[in-house]
Amino acid sequence: MIQTIEASPDEIYDIELEHSLLEANARLAKENRALLDRHGVTAIDVMGAIGSGKTTLISRLVERLKDRFGVAVFNGDATTSTDADLIANQSVPVVQIATVNGCHLDANLVGKALRKISLEPLRLVFIENIGNLICPAEFPLGSKARVVVVSVTEGPYMVRKHPHMFLGAQLVVINKIDLAEAMGVSVAELTKDVHKLKPDLRVIPTSCKAGDGLDEVTAALLAV
Amino acid sequence: MHELSVASAVVEKVLEFVSAHSVKKVLAVRLEIGELSHIEAEQLRFCYVAITEQTPIQDSALEIETVEAVVNCERCRYRGRPKYWDDALSVGPIPTMECPNCGAAVEIAEGNDCAIKSIRFAVEDDGLAIPAA
Repeated sequence: MIQTIEASPDEIYDIELEHSLLEANARLAKENRALLDRHGVTAIDVMGAIGSGKTTLISRLVERLKDRFGVAVFNGDATTSTDADLIANQSVPVVQIATVNGCHLDANLVGKALRKISLEPLRLVFIENIGNLICPAEFPLGSKARVVVVSVTEGPYMVRKHPHMFLGAQLVVINKIDLAEAMGVSVAELTKDVHKLKPDLRVIPTSCKAGDGLDEVTAALLAV
Repeated sequence: MHELSVASAVVEKVLEFVSAHSVKKVLAVRLEIGELSHIEAEQLRFCYVAITEQTPIQDSALEIETVEAVVNCERCRYRGRPKYWDDALSVGPIPTMECPNCGAAVEIAEGNDCAIKSIRFAVEDDGLAIPAA
């Protein structure tokens, strides 16, 4: 029952609202997850900086998995469809999510994308987030696992500069390890930084171009 | 720049409250921002001032309080402040998900939300009935 108080003219009142600003997104993320679960589909949210190799990683994983079961990809991109086009060449369902001015995907956009494709034949959906290492962490999408892709070309301090991104992640991929020596960046040090933030967070070094580490990433994602 | 979307969500909620009740003037809106959320108070204030211009809540104060992070450790049952990584960067310590007590991975219990806690306002001259807190 709602109790009421009589307010007098020109009096000043404080009213408690307890209204969470992140709750609307969290609720939609739960709905997305329930929809995915009903269809036996696992969604993987792939986050990371621009140029870290998110699209290449997804493309390599799609290559390995698409003949085994149904895979779809959502490509979040502010303006272009270059990433979506690249994946579409692999003949799997692709939905381009253009955020235009938005700096992250949210559960509402992903929910709309989920309703655009047939979930029946699918087992896995990769969601490529916007290249950004801050905002996406705040907006769960309904995925079962969040993967952060860091590349050695982003320098030695990438992990400690963006700690929030790693706190909610289930897997970290350190990409472009074939360039580590040229960049003077230590993969071991980056891994150590990840474990300082979250001791149980799995780290897999990869070179998506040369194929190193992709078997491990595939196995890790199939186990989530 | 998601401070702008957070500020928009605040304004939308407050305007909804204003139109549902005969509010004369909103004096202040009080927010609680979790230490582990990624919302920057100064940027949020700037966005709030910009988007409340020429609305009924123009000139209202945005009061922001930080909610400290609390973590839970399943292994040793620790519950309290997180462990901080002191020398990671020069700007300040970084909260981590490592248990300060046993070193295992912890879960976040508090401090990652962002919520409107209360609104302070003056009522119209004819008074009104408002739901009590």
